[in-house]
Amino acid sequence: MNKASSAAMVFLREGLCPGLTDEVVQALRAKNIRTVVDLVSSDVEDLAQKCSVSYKSLLAVRRVLLAQNSAFPVTGADLYEELLSSTAILSTGNASLDKLLDSGLYTGELSELVGGPGTGKTQICLGVAVNISCELKQSVLYIDSTGGLSANRLLQMIKAKISNAEEQMEALRRIQVCPVFDVFSLFECLHHFRSTGHQQFLAGGSSVKAVIVDSVSAVLAHMLGGRQTEGMSLMMQVAGELRTLAKDLNVAVLVTNHVTRDGNGMIKAGLGQSWSHTPRTRVLLQRIERPGSTCSSLRTATLIKSSRQPCYSMEEFDLRYWEQCEEKLHGLQGKRKQVSNSPG
Amino acid sequence: MTHPSRSSESGAQLLARLEGKRCLKGLDFQLFPDDCCPAQGDVVEFHGMEGTGKTETLYHLVTCCILPGELGGLEVEVMYVDTDYHFDILRLVSILEHRLPQGSEEILRACLCRISVVHCSSSLQLLLTLHHVEGTLLNRPSLSLLVIDSISAFYWVDKYNGGDSVARQEANLRRIAELLEKIVKEHRIAVFATTHAVMRSNSAEEVAEVGGTSWKRRSVAPSDFTKVYLCRPWQRIVTHRVLFSKANMTNERKQVFTAVSSSGRTNSTKRSSFCMTNAGIQFL
Repeated sequence: MNKASSAAMVFLREGLCPGLTDEVVQALRAKNIRTVVDLVSSDVEDLAQKCSVSYKSLLAVRRVLLAQNSAFPVTGADLYEELLSSTAILSTGNASLDKLLDSGLYTGELSELVGGPGTGKTQICLGVAVNISCELKQSVLYIDSTGGLSANRLLQMIKAKISNAEEQMEALRRIQVCPVFDVFSLFECLHHFRSTGHQQFLAGGSSVKAVIVDSVSAVLAHMLGGRQTEGMSLMMQVAGELRTLAKDLNVAVLVTNHVTRDGNGMIKAGLGQSWSHTPRTRVLLQRIERPGSTCSSLRTATLIKSSRQPCYSMEEFDLRYWEQCEEKLHGLQGKRKQVSNSPG
Repeated sequence: MTHPSRSSESGAQLLARLEGKRCLKGLDFQLFPDDCCPAQGDVVEFHGMEGTGKTETLYHLVTCCILPGELGGLEVEVMYVDTDYHFDILRLVSILEHRLPQGSEEILRACLCRISVVHCSSSLQLLLTLHHVEGTLLNRPSLSLLVIDSISAFYWVDKYNGGDSVARQEANLRRIAELLEKIVKEHRIAVFATTHAVMRSNSAEEVAEVGGTSWKRRSVAPSDFTKVYLCRPWQRIVTHRVLFSKANMTNERKQVFTAVSSSGRTNSTKRSSFCMTNAGIQFL
C-alpha cells in the first residue's frame, strides 16, 4: 500500500535510511539540500564532490529514499487478476436502480446520488444500507452529516424484511452510524475507520462493504466560494480520501450531493467542476410532476455519468416500495413478509 | 546509471537508449493533424471538462499501443500514472476483448503485461515516482509511452499548501515539468497527460467555478472552461493540445464528443468527433 509522504518524511534527518548519518545530513544541509526532493533532484556526482561525501554511498541513499517514497507500478495483468477476484457488486435493493447502475454499487468505486431537497436521497441511502445489512449480511459505515438518519426508521425498514427480533438487532448492529458536523470530523471519522483496521466494525463475521456519506455537500458547500483556496483544497482532500478508501479497503462508497443550475438553466451536481471529476457514477433524482396525481412518492432516476453504461437512461420507481420489484422477482424464493402498509 | 548525460555512456548503451525505442508512428491519425502527429519526444495535453471522453481516448490510444503487431497495434509498453484512482482496468480489458479474436486469453495476458499502472496520491509522490521511473527506463527499451491521468489532480491542494507564495504553490508541478522534459528528451518517449478544465476563461477577471455558483449570472458556453491554469513550466513543454467537449445532443440521444487538437509547432488544428461504444471510442 502506498501512502503519501507525510511532512515528517520530507526533511532529511539522520536515520531516515541506512547510510544517512548525521555527518552526511549536516554536509548536505550546508549545501542547501534539506529535503528528500532536494536530494533526489540534484546531480549525485556533483553533490558528492561538493559535500565531500562518497559518491557510492550518496547514490545508495538516493536509491533507498526513492524506493521508500515513490509508488510502485503494478502490471496490468496483475491488476486485472486482483480486481477480478476482489470486486463485488452490491445490489441497492431496488431492481430499477440496479438496472441503472449495471447491477448495483461496485466496490472500489465512488458513486454519487444527486437531487434537490426532498427527492429521496436519504431515503435511498437508508434503503441501500438496510439491503446490504439484511440481504447481503454485510456491514455498512453510514456517515450522516444532515441528521436525517434515525434509528427508529432503520429498525422499521429492517422489520419489514426480517421477522426474527434477534436477527433484527443483529442487522441493526451491522449498520455503524457516524454523525459528523464538519469536514474535520469527517476526516477524523474516515481516518478512524482506516486505522482501526475497519475490523472494529465487524459484527458477527461480516466485514464493511459500503461507506455511505449523506451528504458530502453539507460539510463542503459552505467552505467554497470566494477567492480563498482552503475550501477547495479540503474538498479535493476529501475526494482523495474517499477514493483511496474505496480502492484500498475494497468498499463501495456512495455519497449524496445537492444540485444547482448552470448558466443555461440545466441541472447539474453541486460542489463545482473540480468535485465533478471525483465520482465514477452519478445518478440524478427528480420528482415526477404528474398533474392530477396524488401519489407524491414517485421518482425518476437518471444516469448522468457512467463509465460502463450509456448515459441518460432513466428509470422510474416509487420510494415507498423500495423492494417491490424485487418482491415480484423473488416472491417465491424469499421468506419475507409482505409489505402490508407503506413505510413512508 | 541514473544520469546518463553526465556519466560516460558506452556506445551500446546509447544505441539501446535511442534505437531500442519502438517507433510511435502510426498512432491514431484521426485525432491529430495530419502533418503533426505526436511521436517520441512530444508532450500532449488532453484538456476538457468532466465526462468529455479524455480517459476513454486514453484507453483507445493505450489499446493501440499494447496490441500485438498482427492485430494492428504497435506492441510497445505503456506506463500509466493514475493520480485520482480513475483508471478502470475492467473497462480497458473490455475494449481489448473487442479487438481480439475470441478466446485468446494468451494474447490478452501478453497485452496486459505491456501496461503498468502506478497510483500517486500527492504531487510530491508523483515527483518521486517519476524520478524512480527515470532510473528504470534504461532497462525497459520498449517503454515508449507515459500517460499521466491527470496531472492537475493536486492543483488545489498544492495551491493551499503553498500559502501566499505562487512560486511555492507551483514548485512541485514545476519540478515535475522539468523532469518530464528531461525524460522525454533523453529517453525519447511520448507523454500524454490529462488536465481537468475547472477554470472559466473570463476576460474581465479570473473566476474559478466553485461551489456550483457563479457571481455573475450569464449564459456559459462549454468552451468557456478552457482557461489555462497550470504553471508556466508545464505550458512550455506541451507540444500538442487537445480540447475535448460534448457536442449538443442530437435527436437520437446519442452523445457525440468533439476533440479539437492543435499543435504548437505547426499551428495547425484538426477537429474530430467521436461517440462511445462498448468497444471504446468510435470516430465519426
